[in-house]
Amino acid sequence: MSFDLGKISETLVTGKVDDLKTLTGQALETDIKPGDILNQGLLPGMDTVSQRWKAGDMFMPEVLRCAKAMGGAMEVLRPHLSESELGNAGTIVIGTVAGDLHDIGKDLAAMMFEGAGYNVINIGIDQPNEAFVKAVKEHKPNVLGMSALLTTTMPRMGEVINSLKEAGIRDQVAVILGGAPVTEEFAKEIGADLYAPNAGSAVEITKEYLESKV
Amino acid sequence: MKINQSINMSTRFRVLSEDQIEEIFFAALEVLERTGGVIYHEEALELFKNSNAVVRDKKVRIPASMVEEALNFYPRKITLKGRNGKRSLQLQKDTVGFGTGSDLPFTYDRKTGERRRTLYNDVRNAGKLVDALPNYDFFMSHGIVGDAPNTQTYDRHQFLAMLEQCTKPMVVTSVDGEGLEDLWRMGCVLQGGEEEFRLNPLFVAYIEPISPLKNDRTAVEKLLFAAEKKIPAMYTPCPSSGATAPATMAGMLVQSLAETLLAVVLCHLKNPGMPLIMGGVTTVLDMKKSTYSYGAPELSLASAANTDISKWLNLIMFSTGGCTDSKVLDEQAAAEQMMNLFYAYLSGANLIHDVGYIDHGTNASLESLVMNEEMMGMVRAFGKGINTDDEHMALDLIEKQGPGGEYVTTDHTFEHWQEWYRPTLQDRSDYETWKNNGSKTMIDRVNERTQHLLDTYEADPIKDDQWKELKKIVDDADKRHA
Ligand code: B12
Repeated sequence: MSFDLGKISETLVTGKVDDLKTLTGQALETDIKPGDILNQGLLPGMDTVSQRWKAGDMFMPEVLRCAKAMGGAMEVLRPHLSESELGNAGTIVIGTVAGDLHDIGKDLAAMMFEGAGYNVINIGIDQPNEAFVKAVKEHKPNVLGMSALLTTTMPRMGEVINSLKEAGIRDQVAVILGGAPVTEEFAKEIGADLYAPNAGSAVEITKEYLESKV
Repeated sequence: MKINQSINMSTRFRVLSEDQIEEIFFAALEVLERTGGVIYHEEALELFKNSNAVVRDKKVRIPASMVEEALNFYPRKITLKGRNGKRSLQLQKDTVGFGTGSDLPFTYDRKTGERRRTLYNDVRNAGKLVDALPNYDFFMSHGIVGDAPNTQTYDRHQFLAMLEQCTKPMVVTSVDGEGLEDLWRMGCVLQGGEEEFRLNPLFVAYIEPISPLKNDRTAVEKLLFAAEKKIPAMYTPCPSSGATAPATMAGMLVQSLAETLLAVVLCHLKNPGMPLIMGGVTTVLDMKKSTYSYGAPELSLASAANTDISKWLNLIMFSTGGCTDSKVLDEQAAAEQMMNLFYAYLSGANLIHDVGYIDHGTNASLESLVMNEEMMGMVRAFGKGINTDDEHMALDLIEKQGPGGEYVTTDHTFEHWQEWYRPTLQDRSDYETWKNNGSKTMIDRVNERTQHLLDTYEADPIKDDQWKELKKIVDDADKRHA
């Protein structure tokens, strides 16, 4: 039986959650390798999405809908994939620093990472410095994302970085910062690796950085 | 004299019909009964537990009857008094006051043109402009005092910076309940004690829930302190439609009204009759740029509708206008600021804040404050409406001057042209005059006026002994938090 993986890409781009699940299931019943469904069906679809988003042809609700469809398809596909085929883009621990209750920006960034295939551990808002350190120890992510929307809570970001150093795990993670009052300059000053002015660019900035380190 | 006449003494504008307002109100009551809100504050949960509300863990659901009862207890009028002793801001149905917003992290440096962190002196200068410009009725800090010695006490330093050069009533933000208490004690020093402050409040405390339907510990702490001391306070939801509220304007209004009504009941349980003010920055999340928009037409529309609701509920209203998403003071800024200023004014909101905001609530601009002064003047002139009494109909005059006559030299003109708006920054000159005066743009003129005011204006100073008392409160706070 022939199966058109292009159809999977197309359906992903239209964000039809149920249709994509069904299609993925159908593909699994053929002799196509699960890894190919991922690499030749789903991922090219997500690539199109991120290109269109970057070009300004797609809007956030559409992008997030595609990410949701991708998530649904992965639920079906994951049990059939080997560790290496899973080829996770990485794991990111993300949270808003202590004393700060702003969460939309952080959540949007988290969703963008999720859509790009990251395993996202969202630890929430108002997280004490130790919670970041603990999460890094526990989940061993390759990326740590911190959000601060207040001038008064920005200093917590530097403190977390220092605590990571003290715990001897600073080198294990790329630290990326975000939030309206945060700047590139500030990120450099406190020794973060990356800064993203918005959720849309965060994934790409991180990807470039991680690739440059390899 | 005629009978059966109705005369518009001003323009009239509303978005929602009474039936629509009722629908939204009933829907908000339904939200409180069915969905409820969560509260992260022990005392508040206790207050609800000892009432007819249903409390499960941190979630509170409130019967409609409690809301209806509580709504009867709020003042429909509050008069704020500046530190200069003038009871200058009447908050009551359809009286409109304009003021700045608060806490902007960045400022364009006037000398270097670079964006940098906002400092004490920037807040002081914003206060000076607000004091000098007559269309501003109240002052919020505009920027944040980024050079305060301690982030836990920055609000006290910010209040000092605000007070230095501004005698007008204020709206203040605070770090937490303890911060608000210090600001209130400072206010009492200036107004002549706790009792005088209650009759003549210097400021309104700015407090916010977290949409959707969440109430964090510090916000509730402030709210309960304000209720205890009867300090005017607003509990102003900042939902972003499509992200923290439904993507429909009606849905956003329902949800934010439910958030407001929860506070209406809570404050009533704490201390009936506290001067609570309704509020809301009701806008959309831009789905391309993922920013919280301060220039979207939906902001104006939803805000005006919200004001309609507030009037129906007999609550004083804190609304939004004069703000923009534009990064600089340019054509986009003028268009957006004018639009949301205009509709906020016409809606009759009582405290219209965020005037002068640029860069979607992240950048401060003194020039923007000055440019808005002109726009507020224009808007107010429009709101005056049209007088149709005999003197203004000018029938005799038209007859007297006759076909082909002129009006420039008449007494009638001499008297009535003074009712017109007189621009101070708009240029209406002819081309040659404009050119000979240096071909200045609006921005050039705004810059000159800003500099002139900063150089020449001085507000009435605070008395030495009062200043000492204020400083002591701030110093003590710094010591406690050292
Ligand atoms: C909505 C809002 C709130 C809501 C938050 C609700 C919620 N669920 O998050 C509420 C009402 C609770 C709130 C509360 C307060 N707020 Co507020 N808030 C805002 C507002 C208007 C919009 C924020 C927003 O949602 N933007 C939309 C999102 C999508 O954008 P974003 O958060 O910037 O995130 C984007 C990027 O920054 C980036 N990003 C963000 N995080 C991360 C993390 C990573 C890892 C990455 C890669 C990227 C990234 O990606 C996102 C998408 O592109 C801003 C103004 C503004 N324009 O920023 C003020 C603002 C941030 N708040 C401010 C203030 C002062 C407060 C209060 C202190 C007010 C008070 N005195 O009570 C309280 C503080 C409460 C607390 N302890 O945290 C100030 C901060 C000023 C300053 N100098 O610090 C601002 C700038 C407004 C102002 N000028 O006054 N606020």
